[in-house]
Amino acid sequence: MSHHGGYGDKGRPPKKYKAAAAKDDDDDGYYGNEAGGRGDDDYGDGEKEVKKRDFTKLELKPDHINRPLWACADGRIFLETFSPLYKQAYDFLIAIAEPVCRPESMHEYNLTPHSLYAAVSVGLETETIIAVLNKLSKTKLPKEMIDFIHESTANYGKVKLVLKKNKYFIESPFPEVLKKLLKDEVIGRARIQSENEHGHDGFTKSKTAGEIGGSHDGLLNEAELAAAAEDKETHSFQIDPSQVENVKQRCLPNALNYPMLEEYDFRNDPVNPDINMELKPHAQPRPYQEKSLSKMFGNGRARSGIIVLPCGAGKSLVGVSAASRIRKSCLCLATNAVSVDQWHFQFRLWSTIPDEQICRFTSDSKERLQGNAGVVVTTYNMVAFGGKRSEESEKIIEEIRNREWGLLLMDEVHVVPAHMFRKVISLTKSHCKLGLTATLVREDERITDLNFLIGPKLYEANWLDLVKGGFIANVQCAEVWCPMTKEFFAEYLRRENSKRKQALYVMNPNKFRACEFLIRFHEQQRGDKIIVFADNLFALVEYAMKLRKPMIYGATSHAERTKILQAFKTSKDVNTIFLSKVGDNSIDIPEANVIIQISSHAGSRRQEAQRLGRILRAKGKLEDRMAGGKEEYNAFFYSLVSTDTQEMYYSTKRQQFLIDQGYSFKVITSLPPPDSGAELSYHSQDEQLALLRKVLTAKDDMVGLEQLEEDADDIALHKARRFAGSMSHMSGANGMVYMEYSTGRKLPPGSKPKPKDPNKRHNLFRKRYG
Amino acid sequence: MANATKGLFIACDIPMAQFIVNLNASKPPSQKFIIHVLDDTHLLVQPDSGGTIRAAISEFRDKNSYEKPA
Repeated sequence: MSHHGGYGDKGRPPKKYKAAAAKDDDDDGYYGNEAGGRGDDDYGDGEKEVKKRDFTKLELKPDHINRPLWACADGRIFLETFSPLYKQAYDFLIAIAEPVCRPESMHEYNLTPHSLYAAVSVGLETETIIAVLNKLSKTKLPKEMIDFIHESTANYGKVKLVLKKNKYFIESPFPEVLKKLLKDEVIGRARIQSENEHGHDGFTKSKTAGEIGGSHDGLLNEAELAAAAEDKETHSFQIDPSQVENVKQRCLPNALNYPMLEEYDFRNDPVNPDINMELKPHAQPRPYQEKSLSKMFGNGRARSGIIVLPCGAGKSLVGVSAASRIRKSCLCLATNAVSVDQWHFQFRLWSTIPDEQICRFTSDSKERLQGNAGVVVTTYNMVAFGGKRSEESEKIIEEIRNREWGLLLMDEVHVVPAHMFRKVISLTKSHCKLGLTATLVREDERITDLNFLIGPKLYEANWLDLVKGGFIANVQCAEVWCPMTKEFFAEYLRRENSKRKQALYVMNPNKFRACEFLIRFHEQQRGDKIIVFADNLFALVEYAMKLRKPMIYGATSHAERTKILQAFKTSKDVNTIFLSKVGDNSIDIPEANVIIQISSHAGSRRQEAQRLGRILRAKGKLEDRMAGGKEEYNAFFYSLVSTDTQEMYYSTKRQQFLIDQGYSFKVITSLPPPDSGAELSYHSQDEQLALLRKVLTAKDDMVGLEQLEEDADDIALHKARRFAGSMSHMSGANGMVYMEYSTGRKLPPGSKPKPKDPNKRHNLFRKRYG
Repeated sequence: MANATKGLFIACDIPMAQFIVNLNASKPPSQKFIIHVLDDTHLLVQPDSGGTIRAAISEFRDKNSYEKPA
């Protein structure tokens, strides 16, 4: 169990600032009393720190056995997963706290300002949060925690931005808050006075439906439930549509600190035409998909936010369901052309959308939207692209900009650079934004940006629960330790080869043999479909050529990718494909159930999770997959690591995310088995030396990592390992088409290839050098 | 004529032997400590060099292992 969460990266430090802010806000009259009543104890000093980890004085409630969780003063919450109340407690906790680590028997969560913001935004109220938490806790709820919840929720979720009949309203149940906002110059100016105003303060009053379908019903007594279901009176004023962005800005925590929630009352929107689409009867959302949707549509309106589900758990069905519930024009953004095709397919698979009302917009297929409403599937790049476009795409992009979108559906939100998000969001007018992702971790910790750009996290599923339910595959994760050979390690250690370290440990002959062994084993003994991942282009090409397997990387054309993937899906002869990191996201390969990772992107936890996600889609019969079913494991994830190298460091770091999700890695040290000989490649020392020579003589730009456009945000990771590319690399001349192969002619072992053979010089230069 | 030299006998795995050889090569001639490389996994080194080698190996290993920040 991890203990780093207590004062982790999730923003405890701002707490002090928040406490101060809450005090200044005493005049808001609602939460002022509670916020002010809190003692002046500050959380920063070391003495208190020690005190908070000392739990000897905690008093257990008499019936603590029946209660599932421990709540600590520093905001950490531990949940016993074996408790009969686990399911309800989990649903509640995931709504109010950030999961830190979720192994099998005990989960750790952390209350943060962000997680509480998310809780408030899905309709939980401060007092409800405290009451339920207290009911579930084995001990009396620490005062610090209660105070923290009060402080964090005092402002959040009090103000909503609603687009109704194409007018923007700022809405709040608390007229005092609205008055306070109007005192701000920017917001005051943005207000539009409307004629049908009631009440002395000039706000429009209306009723909003209360929360329905709360998942923690069982935990609330009836009175509380009745209160939640009752209609609520809200006050609102209208603002100028052109000022929306500025008003939103003013409400952020660094200004007025009333972050606005965005909701779309799509049922009362007569301006935007409906699309005639529904879910097909065979599309049966699973319980957790239902749950995530209920968080989004809890009060009959559509909320903006992010839904986190592991890959393979059916994110697309959630997206399509959301779109078919709103039934307005929908702009669906994916990361690349392949996933655009997949979304296009998913929409037609799950919903009754007429063919003419859905179209794709990529560099390869520019389809125009017919009619006045529809679904457009495109990539982030296509929308955010700043350069010159063809006339045709200029027209389509103009249409996208001018249209009012009911739903902006954003896939893989964790990989898109924040600046591209801003651009896409500012270019497109949308009522509601839904972000989908599998892993809300980023190495650059820019996740928090998403909170304000899209919205709070609405739902996050627990991986192990989905495995137990048979919804995603049960994966055996293994780390295969491959010792370096003598010659490779000697070169690895030489200072001159510092730039080639990666190529050397990836091309380690022992690793190659382990990989070849695993491919053979899974292809022949189990009839599995295998994906081999290599970030290092040189290794990707070498492995794939040597083993005669198809490969896909950045420079592979869309047509060729489709062809290879099709062969992999349907042909009995193509059971293994090699992918560079283009395969990390979005390339949907439901057939694959084995992953072998031979090289990876430094210590990126997210990449590891995304890759595992490629095989999470459950296969086979449901009853076999359930806990206690026939098959213990039905998918395999191997990470091949050369021991005694940097790779060991990266490998351990990468695994952290999955370990936090409750996965465990098994270490395998004897692959290939000692009795394997020449049937695997690179058995003889001569072959190994020839390979070594190849690695050492490859051009610098060939042995590094592949660079893709979408990497822009991970740049921090590269800092230490960036390298200059050659002109040929930039122009694409290094693509497979231009590669030269030496066939047949083998250099005798030990002889070094001459650095400059005058005969190989180009005609133009031969004269010069004589 | 037989020649007797006192030394420290090291038995290790192949990569570590390479590491020690590399360490030796990086030193100026006066500080070289390997007396004889016996085979891929056995070395004979100066009797007083044990500590230095251990320290270098331990530093190298630390660099290659990741610990989750507390």
